[in-house]
Amino acid sequence: MTPWPPLLALLIVVPLTGAVITPVVGRTRAVRSANWSLGVMLATSVIALVLVVQVARVGPFSYVVGGWVAPYGIELRFDEFGAVIAVICLLGTLAIVFSRRYAARAMAEQRIPYYYALLLLNLTGMIGFAVTGDLFNLFVFMEILSLSGYALVAVSGEKIAEMAAFKYLIMGAISSLVILLAIGILYALTGSLNMADVTERLGGAPAAPLAVAFGALTLGFMVKAAAFPLHIWLPDAHAIAPSPVSAILSGLVVKVGIIGMLRVYQIAYGSGAVDMTALNTVLMWLGALSIVMGAFFAVFQDDIKMMLAYSTISNIGYIIMGLGLASSYGMIGASVHVFNHAIIKATLFLGAGALIFQTGKRTLTDLAGVGHAMPWTVAAISVGAISIVGIPPTAGFVCKWYIALGAVQAGHPFFAFALVFGALFIFIYYIRMVNAFYFRQPRDPAILEVTEAPASMLVPVLILASLCLIMGVMGSVPLSFIEPAVQRLLLPLGGG
Amino acid sequence: METEATRSFLPLAAFLLPLAGAVLTVPLRRISARVRDITLLALTALCASVAVWLAAHVAGGAVYEAYLLQLTPDIWMYMRVDALGALFGATVAVLWMLALVYSWGYMAEGHRLGRYYSFFMLSLAWTMGVAYSGNLLTFLIFYELFSILTYPLVVHEQTPEAMAAGTKYIIYILVGGSLVLLAIVLTYFAAGDQTLRTGGILSADIGQQSLFAIFWCYIAGFGVKAALVPLHGWVPDAHPAAPAPFSAVLSGVMVAAGSFGIMRVLFQVFGVELLREMGVMSMVTILAGFTVLFAAVLAVNQDNLKRRLAYSTISQMAYVVLGVSLLGSDSTIGAIIHVTNHAFMKGGLFLCAGLFIRRLGVHRVSQLDGAAKRMPVTAAGFAIAALGMIGTPPLSGFVSKWYLGLGMLETGNPLLLVVLLGGALLAAIYLLPIVYRMYFREPVLTADDKVTTEGREAPASMLVPLVIVTLLTIALGLGASLPGMPVSLARMAAETFFH
Repeated sequence: MTPWPPLLALLIVVPLTGAVITPVVGRTRAVRSANWSLGVMLATSVIALVLVVQVARVGPFSYVVGGWVAPYGIELRFDEFGAVIAVICLLGTLAIVFSRRYAARAMAEQRIPYYYALLLLNLTGMIGFAVTGDLFNLFVFMEILSLSGYALVAVSGEKIAEMAAFKYLIMGAISSLVILLAIGILYALTGSLNMADVTERLGGAPAAPLAVAFGALTLGFMVKAAAFPLHIWLPDAHAIAPSPVSAILSGLVVKVGIIGMLRVYQIAYGSGAVDMTALNTVLMWLGALSIVMGAFFAVFQDDIKMMLAYSTISNIGYIIMGLGLASSYGMIGASVHVFNHAIIKATLFLGAGALIFQTGKRTLTDLAGVGHAMPWTVAAISVGAISIVGIPPTAGFVCKWYIALGAVQAGHPFFAFALVFGALFIFIYYIRMVNAFYFRQPRDPAILEVTEAPASMLVPVLILASLCLIMGVMGSVPLSFIEPAVQRLLLPLGGG
Repeated sequence: METEATRSFLPLAAFLLPLAGAVLTVPLRRISARVRDITLLALTALCASVAVWLAAHVAGGAVYEAYLLQLTPDIWMYMRVDALGALFGATVAVLWMLALVYSWGYMAEGHRLGRYYSFFMLSLAWTMGVAYSGNLLTFLIFYELFSILTYPLVVHEQTPEAMAAGTKYIIYILVGGSLVLLAIVLTYFAAGDQTLRTGGILSADIGQQSLFAIFWCYIAGFGVKAALVPLHGWVPDAHPAAPAPFSAVLSGVMVAAGSFGIMRVLFQVFGVELLREMGVMSMVTILAGFTVLFAAVLAVNQDNLKRRLAYSTISQMAYVVLGVSLLGSDSTIGAIIHVTNHAFMKGGLFLCAGLFIRRLGVHRVSQLDGAAKRMPVTAAGFAIAALGMIGTPPLSGFVSKWYLGLGMLETGNPLLLVVLLGGALLAAIYLLPIVYRMYFREPVLTADDKVTTEGREAPASMLVPLVIVTLLTIALGLGASLPGMPVSLARMAAETFFH
């Protein structure tokens, strides 16, 4: 039994229209825009849930917009990798709930409706990016989410936020151009923009432009994913943005680069025309480098959100390494980490946001002892910290285990070593964080008087923290969900 | 040789009971401290009875198993209670229960007790999980959890020394854990099925190089926890910094968990035949032998009592690895029972050390002069445990050393007796002077001590655990050959390992 076919289109139309209407709804009272966008996200989540259940049951399916068949029309295609929309909707909903109290303090009242509109646009962009089957649409959705992302970073209106947003914008625009160039080359080579179509027609294309196209795609997506040394835009943007936005940016928006890479792999392996060996080697090293350097920079941070931002670079490193290994274990681990890292990082950023909201302080030194004043929030952050380092049986472990297995499977045990010891490095600064929250003497005794965060902040954080545990303990569910997609992807390589 | 395993929920209960305790600690405190204490004791006692019941039935030839969760499409979290695990589990649960009772007196109310008891119970849960793990991934999960979640106990005092010791602890332990993870990844890839059965799951086909890599990753990884020199750095710092009841279990069973891991890996991942083929064990023997003597020599010089005991732990735990490394059945029996015997002896010594700290305010050996007059029961407990540690018959320490010695002769290594006896001699050198000071010297009170001159014997709640531990040390020695005692379980385990 298939659900109503246009459901896939509705998945994009609902949040998109919702976003456009938000400023109108919130014109008189800002709080209405919060309620409205929450409603929109809930509706989108329901659609997403139906679709994910569907893909788990019958495998990938597609919807042709307006009845125009490919290669002329626009095709929406939903596969297991697209199931990332589930986590997009979840995080989006929770971030909107979290923003209710947060936005009121972080920005001027008249900006709030626009804030929610941008948030919805950003989520729409990601959803569209995940489900489109068309290269040009891919680019369009990428721009929607990038542009709204720049604006969201700057939404507080402070000078420093504008600077961070500007830096983000420059890097983002360059990477978008590079990707557009690659898409242009592919169009020139095949005369089509539909991904499935491009895949079919690529065979026999001349090697040099192909190499440029795939190189450019990888480069562009690696900037979006903030792999070291292309990460320079990330720390400031993620640390300075309002915390719910940081959660979205760090948890989801960087993953656009990863999902983009997965699409590149689908085209490359599917067509059999592109030799990815060299690129894979580059990705493996980029991954290893990102893990280590991200951890290295994080160790020296005192600002809690800065630390979390650098930790994203390390975790993206895991994923990139998993992709580059191009073995089934590695790919499965990497794909699942796209979900799991989103959940973990959102836990940490929203938790940090709650701390900052309640205490007004954001450095580890100032936050010392806060664990006694805000036990639930800090407990949730600790769970997030344990997960992100990959202590079993939390969500982070599943991926570490799979990617490490993938490294051995691909015949590169050195990378398993780098992964495991990189994780160790990451633990060092999370230990610092936990030490400061629980075991160090407060610098300012006033911090012990702080009260626990309000429910609209605490509940999302706690939900996410429990998901960190559940995704680890029930690890086999996402793993077996994504497995067929990876097997299909690697089939041309002889099953990986 | 493989016995059919019976499905049972008891292995799960042994792990879930303390977990429930950890969760309930804080809510129960709202009612009253007394309710919390009694409930925790009840849960731990229940856990200990389950563990002892399992040990008794395993000694009768049964094997129990339980499935917990499906972690990945290929791997279940799976518990399996065999002779080796049953003995370790029972040791853990009993010692933990005694340490819990002791904590009532030792930990002053309001001293972050909620955190202390929660993590104390959590660590028990994870350690029971380690004992009953049925495959490598399950083992890893519990092992990592208990290594990392004991960190709050190590830094409990929150003094600068405790924080420094905690940092050292966590870094050592994490490096070790990472090596174990790497080894398990490699094992999983080479062998697939990871159920811990006898005979080993690796085969020689995967190539000499991989086998060596896996082997040394395991030995180095578990060696950190088992405190093999030169990986022992965390032990002497962590023990003095931690609260005494936790030092007791830390030394008694947590260091032993490393040795336990080594046993599991050697006998059930590699298997005796493969190890003999690889011919690597002589290097482990040398490492362990060196550790026995080196740590014992260092112990002699320590003035801080808990630090001295910590070095003694390093030395004594190396006996276990030494016994196992010989790949002889008698020496393996000796190694397995030494884990249990050492747990109670060293537990006893640390409980005494804690009593000296609390009742006399004494941390250093040189301040213990005449302590026996002020605290006769404690001093007697210390003396008995010290004698057991040296290996005086008929105490339990003698039994393990007897088997170790037999094993050395059996496997044709009479020279190693020098290490065995040298370690015992050194133990006498670092422990007996303490006994001598307590009994035969007059108390010399310095200005600092004046305040605590009145310190007398401890309250019953602290003495009872000490007395029980001491009685166990005696009973495990006198009754060593009775059925159902550790030796019989160890013999069962050794028989399956060596067919």
